[in-house]
Amino acid sequence: MAHVAQRPVGEPGNLTAAGLLVPATIFVAIGLLVPIAILFRYSLNAFVPGKLMVDALTIANYVKFFTDPFYLQVLWRTVRVAVACTIFCLIFGFPLAYVLARTQSRHKNLLVMVIVLPLFVGNAVRAAGWMVAFGSKGFVNSSLMGMGVISVPIEIMYTEMAVVIGIIAVNMPFMVLTLQSVIEGIDRNVEEAAFSLGAPPMTMALRVLFPLALPGILAGVILTFILAMNAYATPVLLGGPKFQTMGPLVFSTFAQQNNWPFGGAVSFILMTVTLILTVASSLLIRRRYA
Amino acid sequence: MASLTLHGLTKSYGDVAVVKSVSLEVRDGEFLVLLGPSGCGKTTTLRMIAGFVPPSGGSICIGDQDITSLPPWKRNAGLVFQSYALFPHMTVAQNVAFGLEMRKASRTEIVPRVAEALRLVRLDGYSERYPRQLSGGQQQRVALARALVIRPDVLLLDEPLSNLDAKLRLQVRLEIRALQQQTGLTTVMVTHDQEEALTMADRLVVMSDGAVRQLGTQSDLYERPADLFVAGFVGRSTMITGIVTASGAFRSDGGLVLTCPATALQGPATIALRPERLTLGPAAQGLDNHAPGTVSFVSYLGAMLDVHVRLNATDHVMVQIPNRSDGLTPAVGDAIEVGWPASACLVFPREAA
Repeated sequence: MAHVAQRPVGEPGNLTAAGLLVPATIFVAIGLLVPIAILFRYSLNAFVPGKLMVDALTIANYVKFFTDPFYLQVLWRTVRVAVACTIFCLIFGFPLAYVLARTQSRHKNLLVMVIVLPLFVGNAVRAAGWMVAFGSKGFVNSSLMGMGVISVPIEIMYTEMAVVIGIIAVNMPFMVLTLQSVIEGIDRNVEEAAFSLGAPPMTMALRVLFPLALPGILAGVILTFILAMNAYATPVLLGGPKFQTMGPLVFSTFAQQNNWPFGGAVSFILMTVTLILTVASSLLIRRRYA
Repeated sequence: MASLTLHGLTKSYGDVAVVKSVSLEVRDGEFLVLLGPSGCGKTTTLRMIAGFVPPSGGSICIGDQDITSLPPWKRNAGLVFQSYALFPHMTVAQNVAFGLEMRKASRTEIVPRVAEALRLVRLDGYSERYPRQLSGGQQQRVALARALVIRPDVLLLDEPLSNLDAKLRLQVRLEIRALQQQTGLTTVMVTHDQEEALTMADRLVVMSDGAVRQLGTQSDLYERPADLFVAGFVGRSTMITGIVTASGAFRSDGGLVLTCPATALQGPATIALRPERLTLGPAAQGLDNHAPGTVSFVSYLGAMLDVHVRLNATDHVMVQIPNRSDGLTPAVGDAIEVGWPASACLVFPREAA
């Protein structure tokens, strides 16, 4: 057909382009949007013990969450842990990412591998490793006690600190790799220009490097914050049964209590809070530096 | 305003010496150009002056003050980069004000000085634009204003024109030179472009393999090159290899016997000839050296012609003659007489190359 022949070689037509988008669109729709819609509908249903889920249109589940101090405590703890993890990831990750981005070393690829390596170990496996290391008779405490540094084991396991450390370890690679790619795009000469104009390193970083790395900082913060808010294996294994966060709460509400309406509500609250805080932090960072 | 003195400045990475004991003095208000092929150590030298590369040995002084161990932010050197290196998230005015803010200047001082610097580079009215909204030439002028506004002791230019297109390069070249003379700033520029170097510099330094080959004015380098490298690098020359048989006498590998200036040199040598010092045709007969040859190639340069003349199996010379309309244009294959005075012969010991 003539009109087909007129199209430059290698330039896909509109139909082809649309065709390429179809599989991903279907996947997102069926795999993500539809379940979320169903979940939201469930969260408006009523729960009757013995009969489980009963069709209804009520906000009772949300009211229950926001009026019960226990659940509010869980939400607050989750946010606190996620914020702490994100801040530490940024503080520790930035220098690491900077070195990685600026190194002239031949072993740069190796360094990147070392950063990525933790991701090769699953969350649960790694958390189990932390349990062995940080238990009251674990590697760290036995070593310290053996050397006479301490006489009573330090309580690390089943504390908030253990969870924070665990999540930082999981999320650090995401932060570092995101920052690294953005810092690599910043002209080294721009930093040198700042130095030559009289800016000491910290001033240079605050006035030039951070503002220019802002897209990376935003992406890294969003990524690590979302991952930390939704962490499951790490809080369960390192926090212990009393240390409830939102991720495990969703699971136990669904799987152990079989309370699908309330589980749906908890899921939606987690999702919404994550979204709101992400947007808020983005706006805050953007306003601070741009 | 101050002079800049490098003394035995050296940089090695492991066993590799990139800059080998460079000593030179840039006089107060002088425009010095470091010229050399890529990898000759000129950029490393400039970066040592700026403070980005710690020297392995030697010292750097501005005036009487030894700045060798000072970090870049305490050196008061204005830097202009090939890539402009403007702060992309700041306006033109903020870029220029940056150095003054670092010096804790007051707002009432910063505003007029920024305006003055921008007027100097003819960019007043652009102060609220962002660098991405400017052309390459304008960006480089902002970079220049940013470096000048801090009233640096020395101005360092790292291939500042290389990213500009040919026409703009000429214009910015003149502007930089005019600004430098106007402000009387001691300036060091690095370039590999010899035309740029020759037109801008007060004095030039030719470097190769990390060492200074010659320091001098344009005519020093062109008419009295210190060695064969400088003779080959600055301007054009044709080389004739042979031996110095006696003081003032030279025999080429192709058997030409030539008269050259008296020299203490003995043995294997190379003569460099500047193409415009050679004469073609009957007039060549009266000169110290003359030989018959065959035109092998003619290139047309507009105002000038380059005529390549083969003298024998090994020797050939390049002659530059004015392009005249009198029909005396040599053609390939013509038999022709070439001549040059003894003083045109620059004699150098043959280098292991």
